[in-house]
Amino acid sequence: MNEVCFKTLDQKKSWSLKTYEANGGYSVWRKILKGELTPDQIIDELKTSGLRGRGGAGFPTGLKWSFMPRNADVQKYVVCNSDEGEPGTCKDRDILRYNPHSVIEGMAIGSFVMNATKGYNYIRGEFMEPFYRFEGALKEAYDAGLLGENLDGSSVSFDLYAHLGAGAYICGEETALLESLEGKKGQPRFKPPFPANIGLFGMPTTINNTESFASVPEILAQGGQWFADIGVENSGGCKLFSVTGHVNEPANFEVPMGIPFKDLLEMAGGIREGRTLKAVIPGGSSTPVLTADAAMAMTMDYDGIEKAGSMLGAGSVIIMDDTTCMVEALTRLAHFYYDESCGQCTPCREGTGWLYRVLKRIMDGNGKADDIDLLLGVQDKIIGNTICALGDAAAMPVESFLRNFRQEFEYYIEHGKSMVKG
Amino acid sequence: MAKIEIEIDGKLVNARAGEMLIAVTDRESISVPRFCYHKKLSISANCRMCLVDVEGAPKPQPACSTPIADGMKIHTQNEKAKASQKAVMEFLLINHPLDCPICDQGGECELQDVAMDYGSDVSRFTEGKRIVADSDIGALIQTDMTRCIHCTRCVRFGAEIAGIMEMGGTGRGEDMKIEPFLTEGIQSELSGNMIDVCPVGALTSKPFRYELRSWQMNSMSNIARHDLVGSNIYTQTYKGKVKRIVARDNDDTNETWISDRDRFSYEGLAHENRLLAPQIKVEGEWKEVEWNVALDFATRGLGNSVLNNHQSDQLGALASNTATLEEFHLLQKILRELGSENIDHRLNVKNLNSPIALDSNVKLVNLENMDHALIIGSYTRLEQPMVNHRLRKASLKGATVDVINAMEFDFNYSINSENIIAPNKVVATLAGVLKVVLESKQQELPDYLTSVKTDDVITELAEKLLAEGQSVIVLGEHVINNDSAASIANLITNIAKQTKSSTLNLSASGNSMAANLSGFVPGKGGLDVNAMLESELKAYILLDVYPHYDFHHSIKAIDALNKDGAFIISLNSFKDKDVANYSDVMLPISCFYETSGSHVNIEGEIQSFTASVSAPSDTKPAWKVLKVLADLLELPGFHYADSAQVTSEITHQSHKSHVHDENIDLTTKQGIQIIWQKSPYAVDALSRHAISLQATKIGQMNSASMNKATAKKLEMTQGDEYLGVPAIISETVANNCVFVNANRSTQAGGQS
Ligand SMILES: Cc1cc2nc3c(=O)[nH]c(=O)nc-3n(C[C@H](O)[C@H](O)[C@H](O)COP(=O)(O)O)c2cc1C
Ligand code: SF4
Ligand code: SF4
Ligand code: FES
Repeated sequence: MNEVCFKTLDQKKSWSLKTYEANGGYSVWRKILKGELTPDQIIDELKTSGLRGRGGAGFPTGLKWSFMPRNADVQKYVVCNSDEGEPGTCKDRDILRYNPHSVIEGMAIGSFVMNATKGYNYIRGEFMEPFYRFEGALKEAYDAGLLGENLDGSSVSFDLYAHLGAGAYICGEETALLESLEGKKGQPRFKPPFPANIGLFGMPTTINNTESFASVPEILAQGGQWFADIGVENSGGCKLFSVTGHVNEPANFEVPMGIPFKDLLEMAGGIREGRTLKAVIPGGSSTPVLTADAAMAMTMDYDGIEKAGSMLGAGSVIIMDDTTCMVEALTRLAHFYYDESCGQCTPCREGTGWLYRVLKRIMDGNGKADDIDLLLGVQDKIIGNTICALGDAAAMPVESFLRNFRQEFEYYIEHGKSMVKG
Repeated sequence: MAKIEIEIDGKLVNARAGEMLIAVTDRESISVPRFCYHKKLSISANCRMCLVDVEGAPKPQPACSTPIADGMKIHTQNEKAKASQKAVMEFLLINHPLDCPICDQGGECELQDVAMDYGSDVSRFTEGKRIVADSDIGALIQTDMTRCIHCTRCVRFGAEIAGIMEMGGTGRGEDMKIEPFLTEGIQSELSGNMIDVCPVGALTSKPFRYELRSWQMNSMSNIARHDLVGSNIYTQTYKGKVKRIVARDNDDTNETWISDRDRFSYEGLAHENRLLAPQIKVEGEWKEVEWNVALDFATRGLGNSVLNNHQSDQLGALASNTATLEEFHLLQKILRELGSENIDHRLNVKNLNSPIALDSNVKLVNLENMDHALIIGSYTRLEQPMVNHRLRKASLKGATVDVINAMEFDFNYSINSENIIAPNKVVATLAGVLKVVLESKQQELPDYLTSVKTDDVITELAEKLLAEGQSVIVLGEHVINNDSAASIANLITNIAKQTKSSTLNLSASGNSMAANLSGFVPGKGGLDVNAMLESELKAYILLDVYPHYDFHHSIKAIDALNKDGAFIISLNSFKDKDVANYSDVMLPISCFYETSGSHVNIEGEIQSFTASVSAPSDTKPAWKVLKVLADLLELPGFHYADSAQVTSEITHQSHKSHVHDENIDLTTKQGIQIIWQKSPYAVDALSRHAISLQATKIGQMNSASMNKATAKKLEMTQGDEYLGVPAIISETVANNCVFVNANRSTQAGGQS
C-alpha cells in the first residue's frame, strides 16, 4: 500500500521538497539533466509498466507520449489535468496536497520526452489548499534549480505554471480544459484533430491526469517491470481508489490493481452498522452502477470491473447501502449532468434536461407508466451522438440504474413514493 | 492533396484526402442534413444533425468534421445513420416552438425542411418548453431567441467574417443563450448576413418582419450598385414591390455575403419622397403634366436656350454615380451628338485641374493573397465593405496592413503601422516613401525628391512594400478632398512600379467605373464639373443629381445652378428641394431594381441586370427617357429596343485610354484641411431614404471631428455646427484637419 503516489504520505511535511528528495524524489529528473536517460528509454519503461491513464479513459500513457511529434519545430506543451470534478473522486486533490513534487517531476519528465518546454497544471477551482500547496512546491522546485531554463547547464528547459479553474466539471474534459486555459469558454472541441497535433494555442499538447503524472517518477526509479508486477494482467501497478458513501471510513487508498472489491470495502471500514450493501458505482458517477452481488465478486482492475459490468473510470468507488432510494440517487446524478452540460451539442444539451425532468416528475409523484421506456429511449439517443463523453456519461447511469433496479422505479411511478423511504 | 476513392451509399466517389465528408457529399449531391455547418465558416460540429455511419467506427460520425481517408465506406441512409439523425431531430424539436405558421422563417426554415424528412409526427416530450427572453439588437435584425437551435453560425460569422464578435453563447447546458454581448445592439456593417446564416427564425429581417412568406415572393437576380464591388443579390418581390434582398453566391465578387447597405437600402424604394410624376415649371410654379408634354417642354427648352443659337458649348450634363452604364452612355452620346463635351460625373472631387489617375490592377479574390497592403485615405470597412472583407482575409492569413489616414478608424483587423497625418502631409510622406524605394534600388533620384525628408516611419512604410511577397497600395475616397490628389496618385503609380505592388483605386465609388467606361468625362475642349459651374452655362441635363450631397462644392453648385437664365432638365428618382428650385423640368426616373442596366466593378467586370420590378406610377427607366429625348431632338443612332443593345454598343466601341499628366507637385497649402465625406449610409439617394439603415449607428454618423488644437483655431466647442454637422472634439484626428461625415440630416453641407 502507498508505494507510489502516496509514498511520502506518512512522513512529516510529506509535501516538502526535503521529504520528497529524502525518498528518492527528483532522482530521475536529475538523471535526465545529466543526459543519462533518453526519451525512447522512458517511453519503453512506461510501456512495460502497463500504466494506463488515471483520468478515466485508461489509455496507455507510454503509447500516448509516443504520439507527440517531438521533433516538430514548434512550441509544444504538457498539461496536467487536476480538474477532478467527477462525483466520487478526490484522489488528485490529495496527491496535490500531500505529494505535489511527484506531479512536478512527472510533468518535467513528460516535457523532456515530448520536447515540450512549457507546462500547465489546471487545478479545479474549488481546490484552494491543493492549489497553494502546488504553488509552494513550484517555488521550491524553481529555487532548487529543478525548473527553469537550461537546467543544470544542460539544454533542457521546463517552465511550469499552475492555473486555477472556475468550477466547471466540463473543464475536466481535456479539450474543454485547453479552451479554458486559453481564456475561452470551457467547451470541448471536436476530434480529430487531437491535442497531440493541435492542442493548447494550436500547438502539439499532451494532457494527462494528475495521478498518471505522479506515478511516472517512481515507475522510472524502480523500473517498469516492478510497477507492472504490482498489478495484474492489463492493469499494471497500483491505483488510488476513493472510497466514499455509506462506509465507516471513507478515504483514498493506494492499492495494487486487482485487489478484490471486498478487501477494499474492508479497508474503508465496511458498511455502517446494521446496514447491508445495496449498490456500488465503481469508477465515478459516469460509470454504470452494480448490484451488491456483482460488486462483491469483482476484482479492482480494468478487466475485473468490466467483467462485472462497469468501468474502472477514475477509481471512484461510491458505496450505497440499503437505505438508498435508487430513484432519488439517479435523479441526483441526472441533475448533475443536466447542470454541467456545456450546452453546445444538441443531444446532451437537450437530452440531459429531458432525462432530469422526467425523473423529477417521477419523484414528484407524477410518473407515467411509459416513463421508463422513455428514459431508456432518451439515453439511447444521447449515447454516441455527442461531441464529448459527457453525453455518454449522463446517459450511462440511466441504463444501468433502470436495468439493475427497475422495480424501484416501477414502484415509484405506480405509488408516487419511494419503495425504500416510503 | 492526394486523390483517393471512397464509397458513399454503395457508390464509388473520388475525393481528396483530408477533405471533410460533407464537402464530398455536397459535391456529389448526396443529401446530408445539417444546421451548424456552413461552407464559409469554421466547423463547430455542434448540432450533430449530420451524423452518418462510417464502417469500422463504433459511433456515428459527423459528416461535417470527419476527414475522409482512402477506402472509407460511408452510409448516409442506413438504419444506424437514420437513427442518429432522427434522434438529433427529436432533441432539436423538444424545446423548439412548433408554431411555424406564425414564424417569420416559415417556408424557408432549414429546421422545418429537415424535420419533414427526419422528424416524427408525435412528440414524446411532455415537459414544459424553454422560453428565451429577447433583446433588441437594433433596427435591422429581429430576434426570436426561443427559436434558436444554438448552431452558433451567427457567433462564428461575427468572430470570423464580420470581425466583431457581437453574438456569443453565454451560460451552459440548457441555459446556454445566444445573445449579443453588448447592450448597444449590433454594429457591424455586415450584420444582415447573420439573417442569411441563421437556419431558423431566431434572426430575421426587421424591416421585412411579418410581411410575407418566402414562397409568395419572386426571387430575381440583380446587382447592388452602392459600391465598387457590385455584390450579387436576389431581389425578392411581391406584387411589383421589392420586399427583401438576400445574398447571391459569387466567389469572384461578394462570395456569399453582402453589406447591410446592399441588403437594406431597398426600403427607400417605397419612400413617400419618391418623384412620381413629370413636372414642368410654368411662371415659377410646378405643374404635373403628361410625359409627352414634359419631354416636349424639355426639348423646346434646350432649343431656346442653346441649340437654336448654335451654342451647344453652353450645354452641360452631370450625373451622380448611381446611374447605370447604359444611362451614362446615352447621356454622353446625346451631348456629343449635340456638339457638347461638357460631361462629368466627378461631382464630389475637390480639384479637377489635376484629377486622380490610378489603375486598379488586382482582382478581388487576389486581394486575399496579399502579404502586405498600404491603405491611403480610406475607412475601407464602411466605405467598401466587401473590399475590406478581402483585405481582412489577407490580414488573417498573416498579411500586414499599413494605413495613412487623417483620423483613426475602427478597422476589423490589426494594423501594422497607423499613420494619422493631415491631408497636406500625405504627398510629402509618399514622396519620402518613393525616395527610400529608389535609394534602396540605387536608382537616380528625380529633382523633386532630392530635398524630400525621410524618417523611420517613412522608411518602414517603404521597406514593407519592398519586402518579398505581394503587396497592394490602396488609394481611398478621402483623397478626392486633397488638393494634391493627382500627385498622390502619380506617386503611388511610381512606388507601385518600383516595388512591383498592385494598386487599387477606391477613390470613386458606386457605378463610377461605368461612367469612366462610357466616357462620361469632358472630352476635348469640354468643361469639367467645377469649370461648368464657374462659367454659368445656359442649359444642363442632370441625371439623378442631389446637389446638397453630391457636389464637393455644394454651396457654390447650388448657387450656380440657381442663377437665372439656365434651362435645367433634371431626371431624378427622389424629390429634392434644391432640384425643385433650380430645375425647369423634372422627369421621374426609376431607381435601383426598377430598371435594366449594368454595373461595372473595380475589376472592370460588367455585370448586367434586368429590372426586378416595374417602375412605380409614372416613373420610367432613365435609359428610355434619354432615348426618347434623343429621338425628339432628332439625333441619329438611338434606335435601341432594349438596354442590352445599348450595352453591346458600349462594349464594342473602342475606348481610348486617356493620357494623364504625370506631374508630381509637392507644394501644399497650409492651414486647416477638410475631408468631407458622405457617411456610409448616405452615399446615394436610395440609401438616404432607407429608414432602417438610417436608424443604425452607422446611419447616424454625422459629425465634424477635430482635435482640441484645431477646434481652438476654429473657435469650435463640442456640439457646435461646422459645415452643417455637429463638431466632435477628439484627439484621434490629425492636427489641422477636420474629418466630416455627413448623413442625410446634414443642414448645410459641403464646402464652399
Ligand atoms: C466530462 C468529462 C470530465 C472529465 N474530467 C476529468 C478530470 O476531472 N480529470 C481528468 O484527469 N480527466 C478527466 N476527463 C478525462 C480527460 O478528458 C482525459 O481523458 C484525461 O485527462 C487524460 O489523462 P490520462 O490519459 O492520464 O487519463 C474527463 C472527461 C470527460 C468527458
Ligand atoms: S456532450 Fe455535452 S458537455 Fe460534451 S460537448 Fe456536447 S453538450 Fe458539451
Ligand atoms: S440565432 Fe440562429 S444562427 Fe445564431 S445560434 Fe441561434 S439558430 Fe444558430
Ligand atoms: S452539421 Fe455536422 S454537426 Fe452540425
